[in-house]
Order: sequence, then structure tokens, then C-alpha cells
Amino acid sequence: MIFKALHWLSERGVLGLNRRNAEYMMRCNPRSILPLVDDKLLTKDLARKHQIPVPDVYHVVRYHGDIEGLKKVLGGRRDFVVKPARGIGGSGVLLLMDRTADGFVTQSGELISWTELTYHVSDILSGIYSLGGLEDQAFMETFVHPDPVFADVTFRGVPDIRIVVYRGVPVMGMVRLPTRHSDGKANLHRGAIGAGIDIGGGTTLAAVHGSQVVTHHPDTGSPVRGIQVPHWERMLGIAARSVDMTGLGFLGVDLVIDWQQGPLLLELNSRPGLQIQVANRTGLRERLELIDRAPSDIFITPESRVHWAREAFAVSESQSTKA
Amino acid sequence: MCAVEVLATELPRGPFPMRRPAVLLAVVLLLLSTAFITYRIIWLRYPLFPPSPEKAWLLDMEARVRSHRGETTVMIAFPGGDEKQIIAEERIYSGALGFNLLREGLNQVGVWSGVVDPGGEIIGYRATILMIPPPSARPIPPTLGPYPAQLGEGDRTLARRLVAAWDRVPPRARLQVVAATATDVWAEPLPNPQDIEAWSALRKKIGRREALLLLLRAANLPARSVEGLRLSESVTTGPLSWIEAWTGKEWEKLHPETGEIYPKSISFLHLVVGGLPSIRISNGEISEVRWALNQQIISQWRTHFERIKRSSGLLDRWSLFRLPAEFQATFRILLLVPIGALMICLLRNIVGFPTFGIFMPVLMALAFRNTGLLYGLGIFSGVILLGYGVRRSIDRLRLLLVPRLSVILTLVIVSFTVFALIGNKVGLRQFMAVGLLPFVILTMTIERFFIITEETGIHEALRTAAGSAAVAAITYVILHLEPLQLTFFVYPELLLTVAALQVLLGRYTGYRLSEFIRFRKFRNPT
Repeated sequence: MIFKALHWLSERGVLGLNRRNAEYMMRCNPRSILPLVDDKLLTKDLARKHQIPVPDVYHVVRYHGDIEGLKKVLGGRRDFVVKPARGIGGSGVLLLMDRTADGFVTQSGELISWTELTYHVSDILSGIYSLGGLEDQAFMETFVHPDPVFADVTFRGVPDIRIVVYRGVPVMGMVRLPTRHSDGKANLHRGAIGAGIDIGGGTTLAAVHGSQVVTHHPDTGSPVRGIQVPHWERMLGIAARSVDMTGLGFLGVDLVIDWQQGPLLLELNSRPGLQIQVANRTGLRERLELIDRAPSDIFITPESRVHWAREAFAVSESQSTKA
Repeated sequence: MCAVEVLATELPRGPFPMRRPAVLLAVVLLLLSTAFITYRIIWLRYPLFPPSPEKAWLLDMEARVRSHRGETTVMIAFPGGDEKQIIAEERIYSGALGFNLLREGLNQVGVWSGVVDPGGEIIGYRATILMIPPPSARPIPPTLGPYPAQLGEGDRTLARRLVAAWDRVPPRARLQVVAATATDVWAEPLPNPQDIEAWSALRKKIGRREALLLLLRAANLPARSVEGLRLSESVTTGPLSWIEAWTGKEWEKLHPETGEIYPKSISFLHLVVGGLPSIRISNGEISEVRWALNQQIISQWRTHFERIKRSSGLLDRWSLFRLPAEFQATFRILLLVPIGALMICLLRNIVGFPTFGIFMPVLMALAFRNTGLLYGLGIFSGVILLGYGVRRSIDRLRLLLVPRLSVILTLVIVSFTVFALIGNKVGLRQFMAVGLLPFVILTMTIERFFIITEETGIHEALRTAAGSAAVAAITYVILHLEPLQLTFFVYPELLLTVAALQVLLGRYTGYRLSEFIRFRKFRNPT
């Protein structure tokens, strides 16, 4: 009885955390390679080697002693992003939009002084935001000016695009849209909303906010559904190449669309969250098993993988109107 | 980049290949555990279920020794313990005398020696005697000994002639007819009347006891002279003596003079076996000897302890019961910690409780042993709330990570101190036991609580706190199940079973219960 009642999750092909960890992460992501994606600076180096565009890094702070010279190094830059190299889930990320006489204005409009900035950088170096609390590095990168396509459904901040990739095949996509609650950050657990993307056509579906499904952005009120994501084919290509780049078989690829440069690779995540399933109203497991049954010739090039995925995972007309 | 393309095609697919080895490992662990337990139950005769409380006797001996000159030696026989009795917790009072414990064959003899104070010395002995219930108390069959040495060849042949006619009678019945001769009752077929007369003469010469022993030997019944006490609540001034004869299954007890066979309902406590007196003294005198026996009910715990302590089985010699008592208490708890960890596996991977840190709830549960669950949880949340407040306010001070954590650690210690002082004032022991809470864990929990509150909101922080508290409470209850503690202490190999379950849980790839809520939108697609 109970088992029958609890059967609907697997019937819908939903991937649970236990299975994600044991059967996909542990099997496809060799531990020795994980440092490549855990450290955003290493990921950037790797991406550059593979001609994948990334936001520019202005400066890297490695030691507490370097903090003093920060003012000189940053010079007159008005906007940039401060990140911990090994941060998790967007913690420790500081988006600075503009400069004031004594400091900066953050994404959410708060004023932040130089002292506060150096304090934050020092926190990052101490490892408070890093995986396992190890000592870390802080870096400053370009403030990406996002493509205006999502302007109506973004409350401050920069929306980013997450594509889950299995064995080099894009499986599922979603665009993460900052809200007032998420403080300009695009992380779902901070309150951003995530709208699923049809892998086939690259248009947005309904969104998930917390555990609720929403059709409109909670702050701007604009509909999140039916937006055509620009550069979709290129982004799928970058995602598909992540496996060639890292050797990791199960990844979350985070991209951001710069209004001038187009898609940029933000970071790779070896533990992609499962909320993307709610955003797409589709189980991941179903698609992952489909990939395992796919003929082996589709895996040969990134292009062939993208091509296969766009056909296999396209959301049909009726489904997209339903969602 | 060709190699990388190969990688993409060659990444493993299909079911995870490690599942079978994991199951295999679990099965091996389970079998090992079962084998050990079976060995204990079948060969070492461990109780399958903890036995009911058993009777034990407290033996108390006290005597006064006097002497006028020189060195005095007193030898007193003590129960040595045998297949039916376990002697535990022996204590000696030796006054100014030296003490030594000797083993003489089956007997245990305490030897006090030294110069006795003119006023006399009080010596004493105290022990707990545990009676082993019949199925486990299997006496070892004795061998038929030689005839008593002081007897002549003629006496032996006379005794043989008297009992030869009964050689075919079964041992128990033979004992009865031999014992009856002590009161001059001779069974059919009657021996030669001349022999009976000669026997009466011999009996007068060597004494009734020796005569009975001789006749029992002649009738091929192993027999021995014993001194000891009757097992009943009593105080006596001197030990009894009796004769024991082996009838194939057990020792029958006989009155040494009348040959009366005591009913089995009467139990005796051996002090010395083999005819020696239970008290010997050289160069002095002993007076006011007092033997007291008191019955007491002792816990199952101690019975186990004493039984296993004496056994020579391999697993008994390596049993936790052989640890000194103060360390045993620690291990009683430690053995259950893996179950706590198993609970965490269950609650996190199958139910999906969020907790601070992985093993923090287990440490909390351990700490609650001293404070009790409710007080423990109360103090815990109190300290965390206080710490959270302070952490918030010092956030503006821009302290570096390690010094900041140190400040919180100091705060935790300060609040412990305050709790203890308040506890002392109002007489609450639980508050004073606060010092045993894991303060490092508390410090890290405060920091984590603050970070979660800042980043994800107070709602998530409280949810995680509630999850931790729930897991700690469940673990606490498990750690305090006395039967479980006892079972794991007696059968520590159950840890292998726990490990097997942990391995199996490690390969659980099904859904967590919380995911049925998280993904509830999938239930009714709209």
C-alpha cells in the first residue's frame, strides 16, 4: 500500500538526491578531477584553453597581505564582482554596481565602504565561504551586463542559465532569475526563481519559486513563460563541451549572457541541484536513462550530442502550452 | 582532443557496478556477526535473553587471633568456586598481619601471618557467591581415587568383601545401601556376619567418617570429605563437615556419621574439600569465629560479568566484561554510538532531515546523558540563541574568522559557567552538568546557524535546528535503551551487523521521504 502510494515519484522519472549522489556523481565524476570545478579560477583557465569565453578576471587576492594594495590595483573600476574561488552555492559573492566617494554601491543598493570590502575579502581568504572551510582565494571579475532579454523578469542582479549535462549531452536547462528576496543573486535556495527551458527550442517554461510553480515574476509581475533564450544553440554547445574540457560526466554548467559578448561560462558544478526538475516539470532520471540507451555514435562530437538532445528532449507543443 | 571524445563515449552507463560488491560486503559482515553470536550462545552458553535476576550469597567471616609470642600463621579455607558457584568481589581484613591467598588443589586458602598484637587481631573475609543455575552448572565427573593411605591391606580386602555383592547395583542405589551400613543396616545379600563384626571393630578404630569413606571407595563410588557451610541465611561459629559421593551425574551429600543422604533441596557451600580442616593455626589461638551468610539479589549485569570473567572461552577471555568496571560504563555507551550514526544515515538519507554537521546530533545525544533530554535541549537552544545574538552584534566588528570563532567559543564557556552557577544556586544538577556539552560543536553550530540565517533566512536555519534536535532526541532515546546497551555489551559483534546495515544504506538510491514533499508538484500534473 505505502509503496504503491509512494510510487508516483519514480513513475514521473524524478531523480532523488541519493541516486544523484550514488549513481551519477560518484560514478561519473572522478574525485581527482573535482578540484578543477570546485575552484572557479582553475575552471576559468581550463575554459580559456578550450576557447570557451568567460568573464574577465581583474585581480586575484591570494594572501591577507595583498588586501592592503587592493585600492591601488582596482584603480578606478566602478563595477565588478567579488567572488571566493571555492565558494559554494553563491555564498560570499558580492556584486558591486557603482562607486561612491568612500566605497561602492552593491547590487541591492546598499552602500559598502572600503573597510567593509576588505573585511569581506579577508573573510573569503580565511575560508568562511569555501568548501570544507579551507583557506581560499578571492577574485574580482567583470560585472556582466546581461542581455536585456530577461530584463522584464529580473529584479536587479544578473540572471544565469543552468544546463545539466550528462556524458556530454545537455539534459535539462533552466534560467535563474534574481528576485528582491534573493538580493540580486541567481541561486534558487536564496529565493531566485528558476524557469525551465525547452532543450529543443530554447524557450522558457513555467518557473519554480521555492517549492511553488509560478508563471509570473514575483517582483516585476511579467510572465516568465515563452521567452526565447538567445544564443541557445551556442550555449548548448558550450555545455556539451564541458565533458571534453573536464572529464566529468555529470555536471551543472552555469552560463551568463553578456549583452555584447554573448554567452560566457560562469562556473561548473559537480553537484547540480535537483530543483531544475520542478522548473521543467520533468524528471531528470527519465532523461538520463534515455541517454544511457542512446546509440553510441551520438556521443562522438559535441555537435552530435546537442543535436540528439534537441530532438530527444524537445517539449512538444501541447506540453509547452500546458506548462 | 580525440582522447576526450573517447572519454565521452566510454563513460560508464547502466546500473552502478558497485552494488553487488556492496551487498556482498554487507552479507559477509552479517555472517561474521551471526557466527560470533552463535559461538557465544551455543559453545559459551550465553543466555539468548538476559536472565532473570539471580540469587547471590554474601559470605562474611570474622575471627579474632591471639598469640603470646613469635610469628603466628592462620590458614582459613575459603570457597574456591567451582562449576556451581562463582566467587566474586572477595575482600580481606588482615589488621596488622600479612595476607596471602593460596590454592591447594580444589581449595582456596587465605593465609594470615605476622606478629599478633597483644590485644589480638581481627581478621576477616567477605565475598559474594553467585549460584550458577543447573543447566550451565555441569559438574566434572571425578575419577576414582586410591584407598586412604593409612589403611592396611587387610582393611581394604575386608571392605571389598562387604560390598562385593552389591557391585551390580546401580550407583545411586549402591550409595544408598552403603550409606545405610553406617546405622548397621545391611542390605541383601547379607555379607558374612564375621565380616560385619570385624567391620564394627575397624569402624571404632578409624572413626565412622573414615569407615564410610573406605566403604564407598570399596564400592567403587568416588567420595570425598568436605567442610563447609549450609547455604541459608545464618550465622554459625564453625563449619559443618559432610561426605560427598559421586553417583554418575552429581555429588550426593551424606551425613559423615549417620550416612543419612541429604535431600537435594539443601544446598551447601564448600570451604575445603579433601579432609583438611577449614581452619588451621600455628603458634596462637583463634576465637570468636563467626561465619555469616546473607542472601541478596544481584543485577543481571553483575551475573554476566562474573560468569564471563571466569570462563576460558576465547571470546570470553576477550570479553568487555574483563575491563575494569569504570571503563565498562564508557563502552556501554560507545558501543551504541554506531547505532546513533546509523540513525543519522537513516534520518538523513531516507527521511531527509536537515542537520547541522553530520555527527553533531550524536554528540548532542551523548552530552544529554548528563543533563537529561529536556534540559539538554533547553540549554542547547539557549546557548545557541545567546550565541546568535552575540554573533550578530560582533559582525560589525569585522573580526577575522579564527579570532571570531574563538570569541564565540569563549562566550559558550562563559554561558556554561553562568548556567552552572545558576544551577548551583537553585539546586539544579542538570545545569551544573552543562560543562559536559560539546562546546566546540556548539561554537560551530552558532556560526553555521548565523551563516544560514544570513544567507538563506531564519526559516531555513530554524528548520535545520529542529532537524538536528529531532535527530539528537531520537539518538538519545536509543542510547538509553538499557536492554540494547546490555545486548551490545554482551555481543559486541553486533557492531558488524550495524556496519552491514550502514553499507546497505550507503547503496540506497531510492527517494528520501522529504523528496515526496519537495517534488509534490509531480504528483498531480496540471
